[in-house]
Amino acid sequence: MKISDTVVGAGFVAAGAAIAAGTLGYPTLDAGHPGPSLFPRLVGGLMAAFGAVLAARGVRARDVTETVAWRELHRSAGFVNALYVLGGVLAYILLVDRLGFLLMGALVLFVLMWRLQVRLWQALVVAIVFTAAVHFLFAKVLKVPLPPGLLWW
Amino acid sequence: MLDNLQAAVGLLTNWNVLLTIAICSVYGLFVGAVPGLTATMAAALLVPFTFFMEPLPALVAIVTMSAMAIFAGDIPAALVRIPGTPSSAAYTDDSYELTKQGKGELVLGVDLVTSAIGGLMGAVILMIAAPLLAEVALRFTSFEYFWLAALGLSATVMIASTSPVKAGLALLVGLFFSTVGVDITLGYPRFTFGVTELLNGVNFIPAMIGLFGVSEVLRNMASASLRLPIAPVRAEGIFRGLAATLWRYKVNMARAGGIGIFIGILPGAGADIAAWIAYAVSRRFSREPEKYGKGAIEPIVDAGTANNACLAADWIPALVFGIPGDSITAIVIGVLFMKGLRPGPMVFEQQPELVYAVYLSFIVANLLMIPFGYLAIKASGTVLRVPRNILMPAILTFCVVGAYAINNSLFDVGLMLAMGVFGYFLEANGIPVAPIVLGMVLGPILEQNFMVSMIKTEWDLTQFFRRPVAIVLGVFTILTWLVPLYPVLGRRLARAG
Repeated sequence: MKISDTVVGAGFVAAGAAIAAGTLGYPTLDAGHPGPSLFPRLVGGLMAAFGAVLAARGVRARDVTETVAWRELHRSAGFVNALYVLGGVLAYILLVDRLGFLLMGALVLFVLMWRLQVRLWQALVVAIVFTAAVHFLFAKVLKVPLPPGLLWW
Repeated sequence: MLDNLQAAVGLLTNWNVLLTIAICSVYGLFVGAVPGLTATMAAALLVPFTFFMEPLPALVAIVTMSAMAIFAGDIPAALVRIPGTPSSAAYTDDSYELTKQGKGELVLGVDLVTSAIGGLMGAVILMIAAPLLAEVALRFTSFEYFWLAALGLSATVMIASTSPVKAGLALLVGLFFSTVGVDITLGYPRFTFGVTELLNGVNFIPAMIGLFGVSEVLRNMASASLRLPIAPVRAEGIFRGLAATLWRYKVNMARAGGIGIFIGILPGAGADIAAWIAYAVSRRFSREPEKYGKGAIEPIVDAGTANNACLAADWIPALVFGIPGDSITAIVIGVLFMKGLRPGPMVFEQQPELVYAVYLSFIVANLLMIPFGYLAIKASGTVLRVPRNILMPAILTFCVVGAYAINNSLFDVGLMLAMGVFGYFLEANGIPVAPIVLGMVLGPILEQNFMVSMIKTEWDLTQFFRRPVAIVLGVFTILTWLVPLYPVLGRRLARAG
């Protein structure tokens, strides 16, 4: 996901400006001294300034890395792997309360290993054993109430 | 002092704590030795566990783990030319070249023993300097704390191993995160967007796990799978000829230890930077600088000593002022805050046994490093062959459960994921993530002390330069801003002279 410094810098300029703009409605202290808004405004301003420097450097160096070849991206195995991680954790967040940690944890683990070309039976065994071990460690030893879901513990 | 020492020994020789030390040693050695897993990530993943521990074993756990991890980072540097942690990056090329010349045993022996020596040097200075500084710190007011936080922020940016602009942007991101939630002057909610979970700020631990854990998993999975060609080394040979080599470079070790300790005491700059600076200084004073980078043992002695010395010295500002010395101590301070413990000079008076436990665990960890490290080198072939396509999903599971465990909240898991993607994106574009955690910890210290000072003096800015210690710290901070100009000034002076 390497893109050009010009674009990253511009992004930070926008973010800094947004932070500063977000503080406009903040209340002030007595005698009009800035209170809650002072620090975020400073941070936003500096972020925009640093972002501008980065962008300027990118322009001067004619950095055009952002041709990440967006159209090629879906064919890159690494990018798809990253999407699997993203999708896996999102699915976990959405479904864990209904299905429980043991099922969801093992499922996400299995799918990720399968995607990374771990042999099927090996992925299955590791997913089950490792999830059970993590469950024991957190739910039994550390007493974290992991969502029980369909299975009874 | 003896009472405290005795109390600390008593606390440490409890079987629970001893078991913690053993487990964390193995954990630190493993994470350090696996390329791509950093010591900071190890700390972030350890945090959910420390959250359920008493403060003392929690501190012992992090100290032991980090000392072992910084050494173990040298192993893959020598064997596969990939630094296990950023702290070994400075001398990776030299290490690997020597291994190719068949001197791998000597390299690993030097790595191991200089790490232990450097760590012990740092620990001794920590024991001497921390209580002395704590005496001074008792008289500090909000002005001095403001300058200390400012110095930490400046050092993070100016003494970074990447471009100051990029380190600065990362730091500002962290400072911004630190402003989220209810503000201290009026209790006004900032950047919460109506989300209840954000009223108390961006949750520190899930954010750390995302930035250092999930982003590493993403990075490792997004890169082509690594089949590492591992150079064969026999662990039995690592101590052969070692004494002679170390004796030849005894001056280097002392100098590098000093550099590491100085960088450590400086808030905001960590072991990786200490290694780079020790490497550069070593080349400047070497009789054979032309060999550097092509397989010289001398810089390995220097930088290998400096990074471990720095690791211990990083705890000086953390314990004495509550100002983190590097990203690991930043995580520690974040954890202590949540446990209701505010590191600072008062801890030395009220809970001296905690401070002594940190000293002792550094000494114990660095002594244990020799036998444990030897075993780690022996096992390195196996560790480096651990299938990454199983390891990475397993780490992700730990991240998810660890982020959840703190507040039993799925919001935190989502926060972790967002931070992970963000951290991955930043790293891919050469923006380091470590300054973010420093920003998150230093932000509130900076803002609170500034606001308190201003309200106290009715907005009289000159007060920041009225107290002697504040002046010294202020001048130091401003000198740090001028670091990029030093080479230019040096050349001017040389020409003039």
